[in-house]
Amino acid sequence: MSTTYTVGLIGAGGIAEAHLPAWLAIGVDVVVFSIDGRGPELVSRHGGGRVVDTLDELLAACDAVDICTPTFTHLDLTRRAAAAGRHVLCEKPLAPTAADVLAMITACEDAGVQLYPAHVVRYFPAYRAVEQAVRDSLHTPPGLQRFYRGGSGPIAPWFYDSAMSGGMILDQMIHDIDFAQWISGDIVSAYATQNTAGSVERGDKTVVTQLVLTHGNGAIAHVTGVWARQGTTFRTEFEIAGDGWMLTHDSIATPYSFDGNQTGAGTSLVPTSEIAESPYLGEIAEIYAAFRGGAVPRVSAWDALSAIEVAVAAGKSLETAQPVLVDRERKVAS
Amino acid sequence: VKIGIMSFAHTHAADYVRVLVEMPGIELKVSDPERAERSSGEEGGASFAAELGVEYVESYAELAAWRPDAVIVCSENTKHRRDAVLAASWGAHVLCEKPLATTLEDARAIIAACETAGVLLMTAFPVRFSSAFGSLRSAWHDGDLGSVLSVSAANNGRIPPERAWFTDVDLAGGGALIDHVVHSADLIRSLNDGNEPVRVFAAENRMLHADHPDVDTAAVVSVVYENGLIATIDSSWTKPDNYPVWGGLSLRVVGTGGIADADMFSEQVVGHSLEHGSIVIPIGADTNRFMLEEFIAAIGEGRTPLVTGEDGYASLRIVVAAYESVRTGRAVHLDSLDPTVGSADTSAASHQQHTVEGSH
Repeated sequence: MSTTYTVGLIGAGGIAEAHLPAWLAIGVDVVVFSIDGRGPELVSRHGGGRVVDTLDELLAACDAVDICTPTFTHLDLTRRAAAAGRHVLCEKPLAPTAADVLAMITACEDAGVQLYPAHVVRYFPAYRAVEQAVRDSLHTPPGLQRFYRGGSGPIAPWFYDSAMSGGMILDQMIHDIDFAQWISGDIVSAYATQNTAGSVERGDKTVVTQLVLTHGNGAIAHVTGVWARQGTTFRTEFEIAGDGWMLTHDSIATPYSFDGNQTGAGTSLVPTSEIAESPYLGEIAEIYAAFRGGAVPRVSAWDALSAIEVAVAAGKSLETAQPVLVDRERKVAS
Repeated sequence: VKIGIMSFAHTHAADYVRVLVEMPGIELKVSDPERAERSSGEEGGASFAAELGVEYVESYAELAAWRPDAVIVCSENTKHRRDAVLAASWGAHVLCEKPLATTLEDARAIIAACETAGVLLMTAFPVRFSSAFGSLRSAWHDGDLGSVLSVSAANNGRIPPERAWFTDVDLAGGGALIDHVVHSADLIRSLNDGNEPVRVFAAENRMLHADHPDVDTAAVVSVVYENGLIATIDSSWTKPDNYPVWGGLSLRVVGTGGIADADMFSEQVVGHSLEHGSIVIPIGADTNRFMLEEFIAAIGEGRTPLVTGEDGYASLRIVVAAYESVRTGRAVHLDSLDPTVGSADTSAASHQQHTVEGSH
């Protein structure tokens, strides 16, 4: 690129840890602002980026923002960035409600800036491989999709407050919901069950959510999401089948393993990747290219809204103990 | 012990024969009188019995005249009631292939007939005897799993290729859902200390194996139990017809103490050949043998077998609720699903009785 491009990274928590090295690998200039004062630590750990003291400073210095803050702050930060004329990449979920997501989309459209959700699972090779195979080489649609996603539960307490995070369905299972819709189209109905035990203090707080989702074409997707005791290995798994074919993947079947004298087993919910190119790098490179006028990325803010509408229906199902039809706000909006 | 096998309709009949002919002290006879109703390309009848090296009789009447101590009912699902009740009337103990029946009324009638005749009734759930399941059961009951929150069961196979009746709703009572959900439902029941299921939701479709549009080929059942345990059971026939093995059954259990995975059919040697393509040779212990040994031991000791008719009923209850959920599109509460005792023939009416909570 001929001119220096500056990205404003907002937040210095778990996901910023994955995004910053990707931005640095692309070679853009990064400014970091974090309200919790962890910016300097993040920057020094990754050997790149510079910390600014206020959001205004960040917005003034950058061409686009990457919002890596807790979910409940996304709407406000997006509005601020849009008002400043900055493109927005925002960590998932975009917001805890469909109305908030719509407000984010509207703010960015009105300001003429781009908005993308960081739905990184679409960039994980196993999931991308399924999407490509379904599109290009398998000649019948998926009829059944089974997903598992689990690992040590989050440590930050705001995750367990559904007003702040949207709860596990919005925070974590959104990945599988989004992926299921990517390959089988809109989900029309959601049924959810959930069970919780243990305590954060003891380190064994455990939450399990199970979803049974029905797509408009009749395909079934079902998802088990787990926030397990601390020390649990992060794992994703799927089996996806159409007429005459099936595909499976298990993330713990890694190309390298070492067995011996292990201490502190277990990994965080942000998976490390053994694969050549980090999915975070692939994601950020594609979205960066779009910011600079390149091709449209594989995932849009409307996709994010669609997934959140499903997650909201699933959340409602937890209360009613019945399947809930997915309320499609965007149809009202457009 | 004299054991009669009623019908070769279910492929497991041959598996049982292969185990029993090797077992000391067992006399065995098979009858497959409705063999002509099945396609001539399918195994069965006197010729198949000869192939297996087991004595064959033409009719159930001849089988009865032989006065078997016990029978194994291997007919099509919807004939289980007729055959099990008949066997009980001979005074024979009954091991019935799963599902115990296709309606709760039929299942209740089988249980009642065996009680009246004073014979034992066992439902054929061989996975109960798997070592992986035994390890899971120990982990659950010894507290290794801590407080248990959920089970995710995957019991995905091919469409049973050797018999056409599995996709004939009049004979099978359904498709993928009734074929396999009962296994996982029974395993969870065995793990969950007698806690009853209270709410069931199910989804099915016919997108897999579109050449069998009359039955569900993909099915997922969600169950909530009275102690809060949640479970999903995926019994979809996801495996294509040329998949190298029939399929598998795995349970993932999440508790505050950890996550346990039990894969009941994972012990295998795998390979590849120019001639055969994928090679998969199962090497796990034969759970059918353990199940048959338990049946025979229970008969000898005059005690209730490890897996009962009530277990068969309980697992069928989840299947019946699941089909009701598919029909209504709603979650079904199980409390009013059961038939009234003594009115085994009011099936049409009692099928419709269930609790559905208010709409959304």
